[in-house]
Amino acid sequence: MNYQAPVKTTLLELRNLHTDFQTSTGTVKAVDGVSFAIERGERVAVVGESGSGKSAMAMSILRLLTHPGKVAGGEVLLDGRDISRLSEGQLNAIRGRLVGTVFQDPMSSLDPVMRISKQMIEPIMRNLRLNREQAREEAIKWLGKVGIPEPERRIEAYPFEMSGGMRQRVMIAMALSSRPQLVIADEPTTALDVTIQAQIVEVLKTLTEESGAAMLFITHDLGLVARFAHKVAVMYAGRIVEFGRVEDIFASPAHPYTQSLLGTIPSTAMLKSERLPQIPGLPPDMRFPITGCAFKERCAAAHDRCCVEAPRLSQCGIDHTAACWAPHGLGEGATLKAERPDRPNRPFEPDGSVVVELNALWKQFDTSRKMVVRAVNGVNLRVHKGETLGIVGESGCGKSTIARLLLGLEKPTSGDIFIAGLAQMVFQDPASSFNPKMTIGGIVAEPLVVRAHGSKPERKEAVRRLISQVGLDPAFAERYPHQLSGGQRQRVAVARALALNPSVVVADEPTSALDVSVRAQIINLLVDLKQELGISFVFISHDLLTVRYIADRIAVMYLGEVVEYGAAEEVFADPRHPYTKALIDAVPVPDPAIESRRTSTPLQGELPSPLNLPTGCAFASRCPMATDRCRAEKPALPTHDLARQVACHYAS
Amino acid sequence: MAEYAAKKLAQMLITVLGVITLVFFTLRLIPGDAASAMAGDTLSGEALQVLRDQMGLDEPLISQYLGFLRDLAMIDLGETITTRIPIADLLLRALPITLSIAMATIVLSIVISIPLGTLAAFMAHKGRNWLDNGLTGAAMIIDLMPSFWTALVLLLIFSLGLGWFPASGQLNWNNPGSVALRLALPVIVLSLSQVATLARITRTAVLEVLNEDYVRTARSMGWSEMRVLFRHALKNAALPIATVVGLSFGNLLGGTVIVEFIFTIPGVGNLLIAGINSRDYQLVQTLIVLYALLFVVINFTTDLIYKTLDPRVQF
Repeated sequence: MNYQAPVKTTLLELRNLHTDFQTSTGTVKAVDGVSFAIERGERVAVVGESGSGKSAMAMSILRLLTHPGKVAGGEVLLDGRDISRLSEGQLNAIRGRLVGTVFQDPMSSLDPVMRISKQMIEPIMRNLRLNREQAREEAIKWLGKVGIPEPERRIEAYPFEMSGGMRQRVMIAMALSSRPQLVIADEPTTALDVTIQAQIVEVLKTLTEESGAAMLFITHDLGLVARFAHKVAVMYAGRIVEFGRVEDIFASPAHPYTQSLLGTIPSTAMLKSERLPQIPGLPPDMRFPITGCAFKERCAAAHDRCCVEAPRLSQCGIDHTAACWAPHGLGEGATLKAERPDRPNRPFEPDGSVVVELNALWKQFDTSRKMVVRAVNGVNLRVHKGETLGIVGESGCGKSTIARLLLGLEKPTSGDIFIAGLAQMVFQDPASSFNPKMTIGGIVAEPLVVRAHGSKPERKEAVRRLISQVGLDPAFAERYPHQLSGGQRQRVAVARALALNPSVVVADEPTSALDVSVRAQIINLLVDLKQELGISFVFISHDLLTVRYIADRIAVMYLGEVVEYGAAEEVFADPRHPYTKALIDAVPVPDPAIESRRTSTPLQGELPSPLNLPTGCAFASRCPMATDRCRAEKPALPTHDLARQVACHYAS
Repeated sequence: MAEYAAKKLAQMLITVLGVITLVFFTLRLIPGDAASAMAGDTLSGEALQVLRDQMGLDEPLISQYLGFLRDLAMIDLGETITTRIPIADLLLRALPITLSIAMATIVLSIVISIPLGTLAAFMAHKGRNWLDNGLTGAAMIIDLMPSFWTALVLLLIFSLGLGWFPASGQLNWNNPGSVALRLALPVIVLSLSQVATLARITRTAVLEVLNEDYVRTARSMGWSEMRVLFRHALKNAALPIATVVGLSFGNLLGGTVIVEFIFTIPGVGNLLIAGINSRDYQLVQTLIVLYALLFVVINFTTDLIYKTLDPRVQF
C-alpha cells in the first residue's frame, strides 16, 4: 500500500475513553479505556466481534449513544479541542458538519416518510450556508458522485423506492456533502451483498481521498480492513488489544487474538483438506468484571500473570502496539494452529447415489399487482450422498427459494424435486428460529414429537445424544434459548436438524449471524458431521470463502438460474462465467498485499428486478463482455453432469 | 387513487347495507312493537290491531324492509311511527349537538394527549421515567372508571354541588357561551378515556420511533432534539396514532349516548333512547344507519389520511 500521510497532524485523538451501559444486572463497561489517534486523511479500521465495544466507542465520539449508554470518562480531542464536555447545542455544530456518520443498516437509517431531497438539502443549507436552490444542486451533485443514476430525478424518491445499496450511497452522500474532516462509518457494508459492498467501499475510498477526509471504519470483516484501511485497531472486550499499520497487523500480528482471528478465516490459498483453526470458547460476558487479560481463557499463550493483571498496550514495532504479556503473542509470525489436525476436511468421493435431484425447477410468485416474480427459472441440480453443494449468489438470486422448495415449504410452479429420505433445515438466525419459551431439549425433540418417534424416555435419550453430538454438554437440554450464545444456538439448530436422521441438511446462511471467532467452530462441526454421518449438505451462503472451504461443488446463481456449476476449488481457481469472476473478485481477501494489487473495478450495477426478465442472458445488463448475441440469445447450461457447466456464450 | 376510492366506496355501501338489514330484522325480534308500547295496557286487542294497521306494522316484513330501503335510497327518512314527526326535522336539531360534543372531544383529547404522550416518550427515552409511570398509572385509573360513573360524579360535584355548569335547560345556539358551558362536562367525561388511550398509544409509538436508526441519523446530522422529535419521530409515529383516533371515534359515538342521557342533552343519543323505549322502528333504524354511515365515513377518511402520512402505504 503506497500510502503517504500528507502532513502528520492529528485530527482525532481519544484519550482513555470509557463508556458504560447501566443495566438492571449492573454496569457494562462497553468501552473500557480506549486511546488512539487518527491523522488527517487517514483511514483507521476498528475490528472486533459483537460486544467488543467497537460501535459503542464510535458512537461515543459524537455522543450519539442512547440511554442507557453513557460516556463515563476520557477525552475526545477533535483538532486539539476536547469535545467530550461540550453541550448538546455545541456538539450539534460539529455533528454532520465536521464529522459525518454512515450507519450500518441503510434500510432503516433514512427517514422512511421523507423524500431524499428533504433529508439532504436542509443539512447542506445549514452547514454550507447555501440557499435552497444551491443546496439542491449540491445534493444532486453528491448523489451523482456516489453513483446514483439520474440524480435529478432520484432525489425526489422516498427511501423505500430504492435498493439497500442505493440507500447506502445516499447515506454516504449525506455524510460527505457537508465536507466533514472525519467520517465515522459503522459497519457500512455489512447489510449489503458482496458485489454491492465492493462498490460502496470504492465510493467511500475515492470520495474521502478526494476531499481529504479521515475515516474511522468499524467492521468485523478482516478482508475489508485489508482492502481499505491504513491503520487497524483490534478491539476485544471493550479495549484495544492491538493497533498498527495494516501491513504490520496482517504480516506480523502480535496479539494472540489477532493472530487467532487471522487463522480462522478460510483463505483461497488454504488447502481444503486442512482443518480450519478455531478459537476455543466464547468472548467474555461483559456484565461481569474481568480480572487480568480478557482473552486469557481462549489463549494458548496465557500464563499466570495474564490472570492477575491486564496487559497495557506496549510498543512492539514502529507504530505498532499490542496488549499482551507475551512479547510475540502465540509466537513470532504465528497464527492459530488447528486443533485435531487428525480430522481433516476429507474430499468427497462420490459413490454414485443421488440424494437430491432438481429437474427443470421453476418457481414463480404472483404479486398483488398482477405481476409475476420469477424466483427460480429452470434449475437442474444434483446432490450425491455425502456431498456438500454450495449455492452462492447475490440476494434475490433465488437461492433461498430453492431451500424452501427443497423442504416442501413452497410448491414448485413446474419441474420436480426428488429427495431420497428426508430434508431438514438450519436457518440463518438461530435466535429467531427457536420458540423462546421452549427448553433446548424440547426444541431438539420437537421433530421427534411431530413424527411420533419413540417413547418419551427414548426421545430424551435421543436428545442427549444429539446435543453431545454437536459438541454441547447434555445439561444444555434444560436451558432456554436466551441463555445460549449465538454459536451455541446454532449448534442446537444443527442438533434439531439431525434428529430425524435426514439424508440432506439444507443450511441457509448458517454462519452469517455468527461472530468470526465462533464461525470456524460451526464450520468444523458441519465438516465433522458430514464425515461421521455421511449426510449431504446444501450450504447456501453469500460468504464465498466459507463456501469454497466447506462445499464440494458450487452452483453460482443469478436471477433464478444456475450460471456456473463445478467442483468448488476449480470454480474458485478458474471461474469461467463473467458473473462468477466478478463475485470472486469482489470478495475482500484478508491480505493487504493482495488487496493493494487489486486493479479490476468492481462489478457495476445491481441485480435486475425479477419482475421482467431479459430475453437473452440474464447477466447481459451487467456483463463487461456482453454482445448483441448475449442480449438476444440465452446461453444454455448443459444438464446433469459432474463436470464443469457454464452458461455463457463466451466461456473459454 | 380513484380506483381505490371507488373500491372503498363499494365496500362502504355493502357494510351499510349489512347494517341496515341486521338492524331491521333484529329490531323486530324484540318482543312488543310500537303499537303496544304506545298503547300500554289501555287498548283492547281489536283497537290495537287498528293502530297497527295505521302504523303499517301489519304489512309483510319483506315489503316493509324493501320500503325502508327504497326510502333511504331517496333520502326520505320518513316520520316517527308513534308521533308522526318527520325524522329529518328531529335530526336537524339533534345532530349538530351530538357532532359538537364528538368533535370537541376529539380536538380536546388530541390537544392534550399527543403532547403529553410525546413528552413522556421523550423523557423515558432519556431514562427519566416519572412522567411515563405517572401517565400509565393515571390512564389505568381512568380506564377503571366507567364513563357513566364519572359523568354522575362530575354532575354531582360541578353542576349540582358547585353550580359551575348548568345541568339542564334548553340549548340556545344564539348564546354560544351557554352552549359551551352546557356541553363542557359531557365533553370532559368523554375526553378522559380518550386521553387515557391516546396518550398511551402516542407514548408507545413515539418511544419506538425514537429508537429507530433514522432518528439516530438525524441526530448525527446535528439537528436539535426538538427538531428530531417533531420532524422525524412524531411524523413517523403519526400512523399508529391516526389509526387509534379513527377507531376511538366509534367508541365516542357510543359514549355520546350515555353522556347525553345523563346530562339530558337533546342529541341523537337521547333520540335513540326515546325511539327504543317506544319501539319506534322507523326512528331507531334510521338512527343506527346514521351511526353506521358516520363510522364508515370516518374509517374511509382515516385510510386516506394514512396515505398522506406514509408514502409507503399502497392502495
